[in-house]
Amino acid sequence: MSSDGPAQTDLGFTDPNPTLGPKYGPVKAIAIPIVSVLLAFAVGGILIYFQGVNPFTAYRVLFESALGDSDGLLRVMQKSTPLIFTGLAVVVGLRVGLFNIGAQGQLTVAAIGAAWAGYHFDLPTVVHLTFALGFGMLCGAAWASIAGVLRAYRNVSEVITTIMLNSIAIALVDYLASRTFKEPDQPISRTPLISDSAALATFGVIPSGFVIALIVSLFFGWFLIRTTEGFRFNTVGLNPNAARYAGISVKRTIVLAMAVSGALAGMGGAVETMGVVGRFEPAFNAGLGFDGITIALLARANPIATIPAAILVGILRTGANSLQFETGIEPEVVDVILALTLLFVAAPIVSRYIFRINAKRKSKSKGRS
Amino acid sequence: MHRKLLVAGLTVAALVLAGCSSSDDAATDTTSAEATTEAAEETTEEAAEEEVTEESAPAVTMDDSDCAAPENYCIGLVTDTGKVDDKSFNQAAWEGTLLAADELGAFTKYVETVDPKDYLSNIEQFASKNYDTIVTVGFLMGEASVAAAAEFPGVNFIGVDQFQGETVPNLTGLIFAEDKAGYAAGYLAGLMTKTNKVGGVFGTDTVPPVLYFGEGYRNGIAASNPEADITIVYHEPNNAFNDPEWGAAEAKKQLTQGADVIFGGGGNTGNGALIEIAKAPDAGTSVFCIGVDVDQYNTVPQAQSCLLTSAEKKLVSGTSDLVLASFDGTFPGGNYVGSTGLAPYHDTEAAVPADVKIQVEEVIAGLDDGSIETGVVK
Amino acid sequence: MRARWAWTLTVIILVGIMFSYTQDELRTTSVLSFSLRYAIPLIIAAMVGLVCERSGVINIGIEGQLLMSAFAGFFGAAATGSLIIGTLFGIGTGLIMGAVFATGAVAWKMDQIISGTIINIIATGLTSFFYAQGQVLPASTPVVAIPYLKDLPLVGPVLFNNGLFTYAAIIIVIFLQIMLFLTIWGLRTRAVGENPSAADTSGINVQRTRFINVTLAGGLAGVAGAYLSLEAAGTFERGFTAGRGFTALAIMIFGAWNPVGAFAAALFFGLTQGVASQLQADEVVDIPPQFINMLPYVLTIVLLAVVAGRVRPPAAVGKPYEKD
Repeated sequence: MSSDGPAQTDLGFTDPNPTLGPKYGPVKAIAIPIVSVLLAFAVGGILIYFQGVNPFTAYRVLFESALGDSDGLLRVMQKSTPLIFTGLAVVVGLRVGLFNIGAQGQLTVAAIGAAWAGYHFDLPTVVHLTFALGFGMLCGAAWASIAGVLRAYRNVSEVITTIMLNSIAIALVDYLASRTFKEPDQPISRTPLISDSAALATFGVIPSGFVIALIVSLFFGWFLIRTTEGFRFNTVGLNPNAARYAGISVKRTIVLAMAVSGALAGMGGAVETMGVVGRFEPAFNAGLGFDGITIALLARANPIATIPAAILVGILRTGANSLQFETGIEPEVVDVILALTLLFVAAPIVSRYIFRINAKRKSKSKGRS
Repeated sequence: MHRKLLVAGLTVAALVLAGCSSSDDAATDTTSAEATTEAAEETTEEAAEEEVTEESAPAVTMDDSDCAAPENYCIGLVTDTGKVDDKSFNQAAWEGTLLAADELGAFTKYVETVDPKDYLSNIEQFASKNYDTIVTVGFLMGEASVAAAAEFPGVNFIGVDQFQGETVPNLTGLIFAEDKAGYAAGYLAGLMTKTNKVGGVFGTDTVPPVLYFGEGYRNGIAASNPEADITIVYHEPNNAFNDPEWGAAEAKKQLTQGADVIFGGGGNTGNGALIEIAKAPDAGTSVFCIGVDVDQYNTVPQAQSCLLTSAEKKLVSGTSDLVLASFDGTFPGGNYVGSTGLAPYHDTEAAVPADVKIQVEEVIAGLDDGSIETGVVK
Repeated sequence: MRARWAWTLTVIILVGIMFSYTQDELRTTSVLSFSLRYAIPLIIAAMVGLVCERSGVINIGIEGQLLMSAFAGFFGAAATGSLIIGTLFGIGTGLIMGAVFATGAVAWKMDQIISGTIINIIATGLTSFFYAQGQVLPASTPVVAIPYLKDLPLVGPVLFNNGLFTYAAIIIVIFLQIMLFLTIWGLRTRAVGENPSAADTSGINVQRTRFINVTLAGGLAGVAGAYLSLEAAGTFERGFTAGRGFTALAIMIFGAWNPVGAFAAALFFGLTQGVASQLQADEVVDIPPQFINMLPYVLTIVLLAVVAGRVRPPAAVGKPYEKD
């Protein structure tokens, strides 16, 4: 991985991928998500108002409970961690022009893989941590590679295969957790606890998984923009035909990118098992992969921007129950706010009517041909 | 001002929910935006009434701003990853809590868990506000309850469906002998069937209470009617309790195969089976369904026509008894076995022969005094 | 090639059914009825995906469309006391959801996957937020036995003694098969899905065709949603569509983007479910249900991998149309 990649000036904040719609300048690329979030909060506030609660009170409770004390902060970081990973997984796919809907399946498979590696072996701490994390990543990468290979060599839409693989993953881990890897002598479908040597520690209020997530996300910020391989990813995503002329193996890049994407989602699952849950239990990973889609779109496929996006989602999910505790508003309001955020950020509503960006596309490339 | 409105709103919501158990489908539409404005007028009215009655009571805790004060009593409830209106155990536990709160003049509210990783933090929300008693619902919360009980020794915890391996003074597991209720239902089914074919549609057998209901049912049928052909199916673990269409389709299949008494047990999946059986032309005369957990005559009104009985875990009275015990200082700790049994026959009263009723009562008595074993291995 | 093994499989299954019918009439018909019932919502939902994809739009928002229309159908019927109005509510909501999806995916030329994802997330959020307990349908949907036909052995009780939605689903499949391959509308639709530029050149308004088809497909999702809450389950619960919108995509592919093929695929998967649960109930063999549930997805992936090229989606699927 040399650093002699092409010089790029935009720091990745402008949009490299036709999937996301028109290209913006760096200012608008930051402003549009922020305005979208604010709009979503405004509409969510109307819903809250109709529930008989002052929206400002509600939002104050929501943010205070998440950011007001160390316990809240810890939970925000814990909840953001897997989301940064799944967000990154979707981002890497988008860069290559692939839509990885399957982060959920990859994460789940990796979560049970890491749990198995964590409880089945007895190794020195450093070795065990590396092994469990690595094994989880491998599971995620392998799971995603099915879709990558089919896309590259059989031209089968990765969207369809990853949707199918999600459903297969749910059934598979259900089977494993209730039979093969089940913790004996207790009724619940779940694996045994991982050994202490495979547990990711929390330093004060900072979970080490969160630190890993930050580092990985910064790494990909550098990797996608400054390295040759990253350049290949972006070129294939922007225009596969041009990439082919430039001598880039499109097939290889697609398979590699999908494997990397799966490994990232897998890292999310592994860190979740090793740092938060301590074992695999089916319901504990619900929705993490799907939130990744929201985050990647909110971050406009920028790896570093997944951090604030994931933290925002983490705050909302952390504050949801306190919101209900303090005001009686159902926690589902958070899902409505997130859906609206996604709508505003992805649909050209904000860009067209607030920032007056013309939606006409210049790029001749056909993203998913 | 807002706080007052909120409290009034919560009280009304509580009342409505409580009323719901007896008068079935009163408007629990607390979520609909349209209905809210409409309900707001009633709110003030009812809240006013409420205040009048409450003033006559000695000590009424109106909010949770000062739960630590000795004259105030606060009860919290944390649901499993389900809603408090799930027509099943979350709802029943909440109704029990409301019942007790009403009697004590206590303040109560609930939090609905969305992410199972939040079990503990949701419990802590109540505990750190000095709630006196906290109800945690569902066997998946068992470990979180144990942890919370250790962290907050001054708070009493009631773990619904949580078997306690070790006795902790401030944590009582409210458990039930589901196999007994299932056995009694099976015994009745075996006597009621004319076709000698009896069916059952259940949530997943990976959840112990469901398995105990199902296998108790199986053994009960075999006890009263050794000839009967028994068909019992369990849903797969994924989405086991929220697949009413599957439940309905399975029930229909069993009906077609000639089963005339079918047990639907497992949240919305089982409810789907009950609703489907109620559609049968002979529902209530020669085709019957059996509900689970609570008296489903109230929770699934669509199934009233076929509902023979429900294999009941008396969650409402169990929860309420434990809350009262916690208030009185007679909190048992360890495990508290709530009562189980069969719900009233309601509309099918006339269809059940008198001698069957007597036999079933005898079996229930036998199960209670231990002279009859269900044969279910726990 | 594909047709040959598909036919072989069909014949084997039919012979198996005949044999099983001679052994145990009741079990056979009940398992077949179960299969049909399992298949009905999937068939209608697969038609949604099929009409969209044939027009060049991939719709992964079917799940959300089902959920919203099941919600509207149920609460519409409960509030008005009329199943017919409930059904219309469901279909109307389906049409609106179709139009919303078309606005994003066609009119605004947003990425189609993103548009579908938004539909799913919004539907989940809204239906669970506004869900209210304690509503009951005014009546159960009628079961209509077709005179004479219902007395036929085997097919009579399975096919001709059903609720109205079941007949509607069968009619929809046949109707779409005819429409797609024998009418001008079908020709235009397929042209827009395969080669929009050529279609445009020959005077077809690509955007308009797509918009209308995607919206109408939403109406079909409305039918499927109304079926789920009004006839199949008789209730609405949060998230109770349980991934059927995604299974429908698998069935659409397994049926090679062909209505009758999708119908056969849905029945096949219904049969695997029915037989597996019958085996479990009869305590013959307990196949882990997870494996039965994986089957449609695994087979779809295998099919796509093995016969890729021969079974392929319409060429222009997934790409917003840009005039050159």
